Amino acid sequence: MMFSRKKQLRSRELLKFNISHRLNLLYVALFVPRLLYFILWILRPFYERNENWLNKTWRYGFLTLGGGVMHPAEMRAYRAGIKAVIDNFKTALAAERNNEPLAWVEWILNAEIIEAFDIASFNTESLNIFGNTMGSEYPPALIAEAESQGVPVENCSAVKLSVGSYFLKQIPEPTLIIAASHPCDSSISIYQILEYLTGVPTFSYDAPYWKDENSYDYFTMNTWDLIGFLEKQLDKKIDWVKLREVLERVNEINFYLREVCEMNRAVPCPGTMISLALTWVIREVAVRSPLAVSMAKGVYEATKYRFDKGVGVVKNERVRVLMWFPPIGFFTYIFKWMEHEFGAVVVADFIGHISTIHINTETPETMVHDLSRSQLHLGMGRQCHGPVEFIVDELEKMLEDYSADCVFFMGHNGCKHGWAALKIIKDFLKKKGMPALYLNLDIMDKRHTSEQEIKKEITDFFRSHGWA
Amino acid sequence: MNIMDDTSQMKILKKITDIAASERNDYLMGAKRSGRKVIGYFCSYVPEEVIHAAGFIPYRMRAVASSGTEKGDIYFSSLNCTFVRHCFDKALKGDFDFLDGIVFLNGCDHTRRLYDNWRYADIPPVFRYMFVAPHKTGTTAEKRFSGEIEMFKKELEKHFNVTISDEALASSIKLYNRKRQLLQSIYETGKSNEVPLRGSEFLRLMLALTAMPVEDSIALLEELKGEIQGRSTARTGDLRIFLASGCVEEPDHLELIEELGASIVADNICLGTRNFNLAVSEDDEPVPSLARRYLYHLSCPRMMNTARERLAYMQDTCREFQVDAIIAEKLKFCDLWGGELFLYRKESRKLGIPLLALERELYGGSSGQMRTRIQAFYEQVMNRRNTADVLFRSAGDDYQASNKNPVD
Repeated sequence: MMFSRKKQLRSRELLKFNISHRLNLLYVALFVPRLLYFILWILRPFYERNENWLNKTWRYGFLTLGGGVMHPAEMRAYRAGIKAVIDNFKTALAAERNNEPLAWVEWILNAEIIEAFDIASFNTESLNIFGNTMGSEYPPALIAEAESQGVPVENCSAVKLSVGSYFLKQIPEPTLIIAASHPCDSSISIYQILEYLTGVPTFSYDAPYWKDENSYDYFTMNTWDLIGFLEKQLDKKIDWVKLREVLERVNEINFYLREVCEMNRAVPCPGTMISLALTWVIREVAVRSPLAVSMAKGVYEATKYRFDKGVGVVKNERVRVLMWFPPIGFFTYIFKWMEHEFGAVVVADFIGHISTIHINTETPETMVHDLSRSQLHLGMGRQCHGPVEFIVDELEKMLEDYSADCVFFMGHNGCKHGWAALKIIKDFLKKKGMPALYLNLDIMDKRHTSEQEIKKEITDFFRSHGWA
Repeated sequence: MNIMDDTSQMKILKKITDIAASERNDYLMGAKRSGRKVIGYFCSYVPEEVIHAAGFIPYRMRAVASSGTEKGDIYFSSLNCTFVRHCFDKALKGDFDFLDGIVFLNGCDHTRRLYDNWRYADIPPVFRYMFVAPHKTGTTAEKRFSGEIEMFKKELEKHFNVTISDEALASSIKLYNRKRQLLQSIYETGKSNEVPLRGSEFLRLMLALTAMPVEDSIALLEELKGEIQGRSTARTGDLRIFLASGCVEEPDHLELIEELGASIVADNICLGTRNFNLAVSEDDEPVPSLARRYLYHLSCPRMMNTARERLAYMQDTCREFQVDAIIAEKLKFCDLWGGELFLYRKESRKLGIPLLALERELYGGSSGQMRTRIQAFYEQVMNRRNTADVLFRSAGDDYQASNKNPVD
């Protein structure tokens, strides 16, 4: 999809294009992961280093799939996740076509409750995620559209893009919206804009500041209010049996991913962080699908295989990196690139790490209570809604648990609160004697800092510390 | 009538100007010397009555008389707003050394990190409290707000070894309601053609009132109310402006807006209507009444589910105050007011009210640029007044709206 074609976009074209030309093809190709691995490896010289007119359409997609250096077992796991996303997109488009209810769910929340009402849900930031990870030029075009309509340039591009998508009619119209007050002001701001533009009933989750019992109770009350809101808007009662089913699957996902996180503590690290990052994306978009469990299980099995054999994801692990703050959306290959080029493995990061609790599915009360707590512990949510200790304490624990050699601070432009905490984080790492690289970029907009610039900074950092 | 001549003629306005120009004043320091404690707070969602009922003076934090952000920039980044950077700079330089306590609020991403950096830099005072206000209205939020007020009350009692009785709270509520009532009545004089008090003067008044004991504030307001009766600051042809913004605390900036041919007659700013809009019920239990008032008063964009109410307020106010145009401002890197400006643009266009959207830095200078933009805007508004020019476009408006989307 070329940037210059923006003005000729037909309604929902990007979403349909993603399904038909990218995700479907990938899904089919992943039936033969070894063959795909081989093809990616053979074609590697033509796309791995640089983007050119010949490879620009599919380069990022190939890189997200590991660029010929990802083990086929992991690729097999992604197949289930891709199918879950295709199903979600198709269901959302069908709901719109048939005038059935469709809930937009903000990216920081998962859509388990929606499953209990048996209506379609859509992650408003989907085009952002898949545009960037699958590699095309339309994310910057959608961001530019939002900005030209008056959305502030400095707002987080991750949510800003949704406004551009809406203006250009690239995402299905909602019948209701579920938003949240965390993790940042951009979310608060953009979802008020979306509510205004769409004119549909909107429910806002209010994240507490602290993590004490009072705060969790307040968030739980928010979930009860959400149930009341949905019952009223949809004129139907919540189906507790369906909620139990989806939450039991969520428990399974959490189990597998927690195990992966635990295994990644081993030296050498058996897992690759791209798997946890992509699983986080699948949770966002399609946590309701049983296929999300299959993906988590696939990632678990691939990691467990290496863990049991005592081998790492790279043969010669030289550096263990902790990546703090959100990872780069438009350059997901960063993980495999660092592994391949430097033997540097990202052992834990801000979003992939799982610390959600097991949800007790015995009664409606336990489900709502534990689900609420679990939502507050999702990646980015758990660190960003309160004091700086939520960020620094987790960072300290990660450094200890994962035997990290260095830290990458992913300085995303939209994260104002992150920038306001930078001195505290810097001083902390300095005190710990931990080498750190502070990147200044926009995780969803490659126009700000390019892939080549990021690569250069990382290479220089490794060189200056004798790791390259 | 020249506004500065007018100010100099009136002793009380001169007094207000002096108080507003510094972070400390004779009223405040006099009370402090007599043993009253001063508690700083950061946002209009902090219930001043609780602080007052403890026997203390609530003091609205500000960056007035700031000399720069050099020290603040060590802790905050250039991607953070200038209000927090100036305030923190002043804190590091000891400008707030008269404070006995400070109350932060989860108002926005920038101010909530003030709490973190203040503790990290270990800047006095020792009593540093994070007051957590919900981001939405409704029954659940109301209960939560009541609970937060109770916790805040307990913390004040514990730290300062004082008792905050319901009687004391009720008495403080009465006093603050009186202050709100007086402010409201002065504010409403803006509806008249004479505009007895200009927007810049009103901002000075607010700066002064939020930095002195409420008892003195009431006396000052009563005196001022009498003084401005029959006063007129209006000039022929002046535009009547509605000002919307977050943190505005430079009267000079408002003077610039007015000097160029306008009167700011109404507002939705932190140090404006949001401060005195809506009284606390005196008939119910004090804490739930405070929670209701502070949750439901004219909101700022930090509140997620009240955007429509804010826009309705803008529309109603423009009608009641016969507003000619809106100036909506934001500080750079303020996501919340950035989003609000988007809503204002769309809504004002729908309503046919000209709007100028400004982005600026607090104490950032650039008065030349501001002057040019404001002048050009006024000319456009005047043109529309004087002609039936349908080609008129309000400055800062959505220039793409007229381009039909190719998708349609």
